[in-house]
Amino acid sequence: MNKANKANRAINLTKNKDSYSISFNAMASPCEVIVQSNDKQLAQKLGNIITAEVWRIEDKYNRYDQNSLCSVINSKAGQPVAIDEETYLLLIFADHCYQLSNGLFDISSGALRKAWSFHGGSAKNTQFPSQAQVSAALSNVGWNNIKFDEQKITLAKGMEVDFGGICKEYAVDRALILAKQLSDKPILVNLGGDLAVTGSRLNDETWQVAIEHPDIDSALNRDAIADMIVSLKSGALATSGDARRFIIKDGVRYGHILNAKTGWPIAKAPRSITVVAPQCIQAGILATLALLQGCNAEQFLTEQDIKFWARR
Amino acid sequence: MVAINTSGNNKMNNKMKTEKINIKAALTIATAALLGVSNLAQAESSTISGTEESAWEFDSAFLFYSEVDRVSAGEAIFNAKKTFANDEVLNLKLTIDALTGASANGAVAQPTVQTFTRPSGNGQYDVAPGDTPLDDTFHDTRVQLNGQWTQLIAPDYTASGGLHISKEYDYLSLGINGNIAVDFDRKNSTFSAGFSYFQDTFTPEGGIPKPFASMLVGDSNEPTWDEEFAKTRIGSEDDKSTADILLGFTQVINRRMLMQFNYSYSMVDGYLTDPFKILSVVDNNGVSQDYVYESRPDSRIKQSIYAQSLYHFDTTVLDVSYRYMWDDWEITSHTIDSRFIIPLGDSFGTESYLQPHFRFYQQSAADFYRPFIMDSDPLPAFASADYRIGEMTAFTVGLKYGLLVNNGHELSFRLEYYSQTSTDAGFEEPGVLKDVELYSSVDAIIAQVTYSF
Repeated sequence: MNKANKANRAINLTKNKDSYSISFNAMASPCEVIVQSNDKQLAQKLGNIITAEVWRIEDKYNRYDQNSLCSVINSKAGQPVAIDEETYLLLIFADHCYQLSNGLFDISSGALRKAWSFHGGSAKNTQFPSQAQVSAALSNVGWNNIKFDEQKITLAKGMEVDFGGICKEYAVDRALILAKQLSDKPILVNLGGDLAVTGSRLNDETWQVAIEHPDIDSALNRDAIADMIVSLKSGALATSGDARRFIIKDGVRYGHILNAKTGWPIAKAPRSITVVAPQCIQAGILATLALLQGCNAEQFLTEQDIKFWARR
Repeated sequence: MVAINTSGNNKMNNKMKTEKINIKAALTIATAALLGVSNLAQAESSTISGTEESAWEFDSAFLFYSEVDRVSAGEAIFNAKKTFANDEVLNLKLTIDALTGASANGAVAQPTVQTFTRPSGNGQYDVAPGDTPLDDTFHDTRVQLNGQWTQLIAPDYTASGGLHISKEYDYLSLGINGNIAVDFDRKNSTFSAGFSYFQDTFTPEGGIPKPFASMLVGDSNEPTWDEEFAKTRIGSEDDKSTADILLGFTQVINRRMLMQFNYSYSMVDGYLTDPFKILSVVDNNGVSQDYVYESRPDSRIKQSIYAQSLYHFDTTVLDVSYRYMWDDWEITSHTIDSRFIIPLGDSFGTESYLQPHFRFYQQSAADFYRPFIMDSDPLPAFASADYRIGEMTAFTVGLKYGLLVNNGHELSFRLEYYSQTSTDAGFEEPGVLKDVELYSSVDAIIAQVTYSF
């Protein structure tokens, strides 16, 4: 899988009317950078720098990549593994998210995937795991059982960490920082729907961003399902929820977001939530924290005075 | 006039907003630590724009203030805020106060009945033996309008400008202000500089009294009364100007703590005397011989330093501030203000919080303050017996309860008790003054209801 990913690392440059578009694949998603400039050299340079950064983060934190730091940490659970400052800062951030969500969001909940598999449409009546299976997996979950400091991290035996919930958004923010250092032209970075802009387009125009409807793949009455267009002038936008990963049991749809405290999926959550925030990683976490509130997702964001779109 | 702190209400409203965005604000700080960018202010502002201007947001507050046996005041505040496409913010605020009741006129209590002339010259009032003389003619309505425009003028530079107009029956105040704030150190620090200028005109009914002129007491229906009363007056109106400079520095200490430091320099010039205040002139036995109108210098330079710390515990927030003020009237004051915000979660069926409040205030007297004048002493250059510039200690304790009602609108109730005690700055008390209360206290209840929609 890793080799296939890396073989797929091509950068395509396309000229549009007043901009260049750089497309590539990363983190199992189609990605795009748009720079509103006719300077081809600048576009190429941006493409090289941004893809290098995004792929670097992918290689470092992809838990499916045996060589990633994430995999090393997981495979050596029970013993300390040396970490760098970037990883330490991501762990600190994950800690904040854990605290702010009262433990609902936990990057050590990856072990639960042993009990659950979400394949969506192809397996509409997947059996739920037994409570015993869930409990067994849950015994390996618990942020408090992870010890880390600026030099090292130690997982309790059997535990796993998964940076998947924050990595893509983090890569968007990192890419934007590098883009801003290189150019003051308007730039948009989009990694599989999580995106951020450096500022408004030329002449103070907004970026028009389409948010994909979660049912877009269902092919049924596609005409009735319009993408939502959002005008973005600054900041970032991230979507949580996934059309392709869910279980339907007894007619109830369960999304792939798991409650790290109970080990069970969150019921009655919206299918997707899109949040706007100054930084992409904030938007992503807010969307995820909202989904974790289940039927109260919208209320949670409304009370926090956050701009969002929810689809049920 | 009794000063009612309306800016306090405004601050309260802002506080409520910050309570609502706890998670958002905490994430902003966490993100700043992770990315080394971002800032607090940016998170507050809407990043979305284009066709979507925000709707108007409204706050309304009703406040009731009542001093025991003295002034009662009602106040209504309407605040409207709109954020435009490029994050410009327009804020409009209307405040209406109605004040009624009695206020100490400055004279000392006596063992006998005292008669005073009303400030307008129309009629007299009597004060019973032993009572602190109160002028019971206070009633006034104030309408105040503030407009403020705030926008980003360059990356990291926010500018703001505003206009102020306030009108009472006998008072007109016009003001302008401007402020610029600069973010730096990856927006963990903000430096701001502001100025404001106010021009106030005072047209008290009955005119401006002549400093140290004796209060005319007698039959106001006599044909010569008006002519005699006019002799104690120097005009029908007077004015004063106030120029303030404010420097501020805000620093994010860590994800839990925010500190703010302010320095302010204020120059007031013009008519600073209170035309309604008098002093008793007493003999060696402490018996009133005369009442004279007070006299204050025509300029005052005030400075203050202020430090505030907001500390975010796991769920609660502690807000503590200290202010030290000093001026060239030799008044110094210390203010400690603290609030503790306790979110109650959903325990009452809706999101709610409690906010205990404690404030302590201590002030030294102005150099020309004196509770009375001895008739054997030469007349000083300036003198005032106004308790508000005398030595005093005050405290406020209060509790606020806020809850989210339908659609995330916020409703809050505040109840506070205010107690102010004037203290003796070391003046000798001759004769009968030993047996009366020279330094009275003021106790007040403040009740407020606020609704944001």
